[in-house]
Amino acid sequence: MNYIIDISLIAVGAALINNFVLINFVGICPFIGVSRRVDMAFGMGCAVTFVITIAALISWTITTFVLTPGAPLSAWVAGFFMPAETAATVDLTVLCYIVYIFAISASVQFVEMYVRKYNPDLYKSFGVFLPLITTNCAILFACLKIKDNIVGVDNPADAWDLGRSLVLAIFGGVGFTIAIVIMAGIREELDLCDVPKPLRGAAITLIVAGILAMGFMGFTGVNSGLEKALTAGTSGAEIARVNSGLEKALTAGKAEQAAVQNDNAAYAHKGIVDPLNAGHERETDFPEMERTI
Amino acid sequence: MGFKNSNIVQAWLVLLLCLCFGSALAAVHVVLSPAIEANKINETREQVPGLVLGEEKALEMAQKGEALDVVQHQMAVEKSGRKLFYNVYEALISGKRIGWVVKTSGAGYADKIELLVGLDADADKISGLYVLGQKETPGLGNKIIETEWRGQFIGKPASDALTVTKMGASKPIEIDAVTGATISSNSVIQIINTALADLRPALKDKQG
Amino acid sequence: MAKGPTPLERFIQGILPENPVYRQLLGLCPTLAVTNSMKAAITMAGAVMFVLFCANVIISLIRNLLKPHLRIVIFTLTIATFVTIADKFLAAYMYQMSKTLGPYIPLIIVNCIIIGRCEICASRQSVITAGADAIGQSIGFALALSSIAAVREILGTGMFFGLRVLPAAWPDWVIMVLPPGAFLTFGLLLGAVNWYGDRKSKTGN
Repeated sequence: MNYIIDISLIAVGAALINNFVLINFVGICPFIGVSRRVDMAFGMGCAVTFVITIAALISWTITTFVLTPGAPLSAWVAGFFMPAETAATVDLTVLCYIVYIFAISASVQFVEMYVRKYNPDLYKSFGVFLPLITTNCAILFACLKIKDNIVGVDNPADAWDLGRSLVLAIFGGVGFTIAIVIMAGIREELDLCDVPKPLRGAAITLIVAGILAMGFMGFTGVNSGLEKALTAGTSGAEIARVNSGLEKALTAGKAEQAAVQNDNAAYAHKGIVDPLNAGHERETDFPEMERTI
Repeated sequence: MGFKNSNIVQAWLVLLLCLCFGSALAAVHVVLSPAIEANKINETREQVPGLVLGEEKALEMAQKGEALDVVQHQMAVEKSGRKLFYNVYEALISGKRIGWVVKTSGAGYADKIELLVGLDADADKISGLYVLGQKETPGLGNKIIETEWRGQFIGKPASDALTVTKMGASKPIEIDAVTGATISSNSVIQIINTALADLRPALKDKQG
Repeated sequence: MAKGPTPLERFIQGILPENPVYRQLLGLCPTLAVTNSMKAAITMAGAVMFVLFCANVIISLIRNLLKPHLRIVIFTLTIATFVTIADKFLAAYMYQMSKTLGPYIPLIIVNCIIIGRCEICASRQSVITAGADAIGQSIGFALALSSIAAVREILGTGMFFGLRVLPAAWPDWVIMVLPPGAFLTFGLLLGAVNWYGDRKSKTGN
């Protein structure tokens, strides 16, 4: 049960609370470059999600078995050259950036080749994005986050397994897709607006992204609420066992927590929907304008 | 141009570059990694005297040129079938234990909050609190790092769970919430409560 | 091969006329992420300068040996090596700063400015030109970063380089140091730069 809670927290965290684009600022280049049309944006989002998952799989495997201090494979190889005690402490983390970037490049290449050969239709729809993805920071960012949770943890039992890493990668990609599709939707409407000339193009996109980011900030704190909801739902007995006073604190805090969370949800809702609504209102305004003209 | 197109030349070039860069990285790793490790450890250890003795006494000691001995333990606790590990620092003056510092972390409002909790030698009272890492909202939640707020924890009992109040703390187990950041305050207190509930029996066992 | 711009031209172009951030919209990830304080922005710019200079010089030295299909691989290898060196150096001597910058130092590897300069300038021109180009571009990057960071830090905390410049009564615009502030500040500054550029070209004609 703990595992499911963990997974769902990682998923919500990656997709919404710490959204790759709007909160962590990775993958801004495609976010501005490929967000003119919704279908293109969705294609890009899918391509990134796909590559990010494969890159996470490769980087988790390499980090766990080769790079992390005392990793089994590197210790085994080092065992041929040095005594067992020193071999067990071999630390290759200094190589991780080079390894990750090559893992990403290689996986992009293979995905491109595979898709081109076996699914030409799919290649036509998102193949053009693939070379762009190699220099997309979102993918390296996911790899680095996975590395931090394997190498950087205080005790080995906390190190992420493959499942957690893949969930982070997939939902990070989903978060990227959500952000870029919302942005493309807004930009399609924005084409009909009279934007001051200096702000046209990237500048207005960034300002709209700022407003979107405010909306996404409303998700902050959802994780603690979610954790509480899940823990209370699954193992209330466990809490009671830990400490009677702790439970008192929990219940006292819960009412406030719920209130604040409702607020948050409301803000988040408003933040995302408002610009869209604004766009639609403008659209309906047009016929009137034409009439007056 | 025939020279440039030869695959052998390209292969040797890549190999040579890999060798150069590889040895450069190895050199950097050998030279700098002790300093990086020391930075990581010192970040926690530097806080131990202040947390165990209180800021003033710790300063006094530093001026006299005395130093605490700090021993790091990794303690494993069984909790609902899962093994949890805590990093615990034992502070000693000439072989006699004067307190503990527990490193713990948990979910805050925005992201993970990392805390150091100081305890007295019997693990009965909290002797200090330090926030190692947090990303709470600037201006609201991040006030948990202010000395004034952290100071409330000094002298609180470690045996009972602490609670947050917005009305002004009156009972010994109550802590004033940071204005506008009840969730951040609550998170800190729950992280402390959980860690102490897990660890106190083990620390008490180490008494003898 | 046509003769490219001279070192001096490369140097000057990088600073304002071809500013990597405002004109070419490259390297936006660190531009937005680390500009909530001046110190972080300057450290970031320094790290980028180191990596860009070293990568440009090395690529320029071996430019006659590179075959097209291996070029990008070698660029990436070189850049990743220097980024690792910069990262370790920061972790050893500026530990707090390296914790603040977190993943954004390794993300320099995929910063389009560096790979773009290797491709456009260093793989075609001599070492001196490539070096001058790297320094010019990094100064341009540093200027862009510090302009954004100055606005965000002053409005967001009332401080500049950690020193108070606005009166204590200033209500901190906390939003400026949070992610949305980065987008808004950069969007508006970009608009201002475009507006100024348009006006100048009009009066020039």
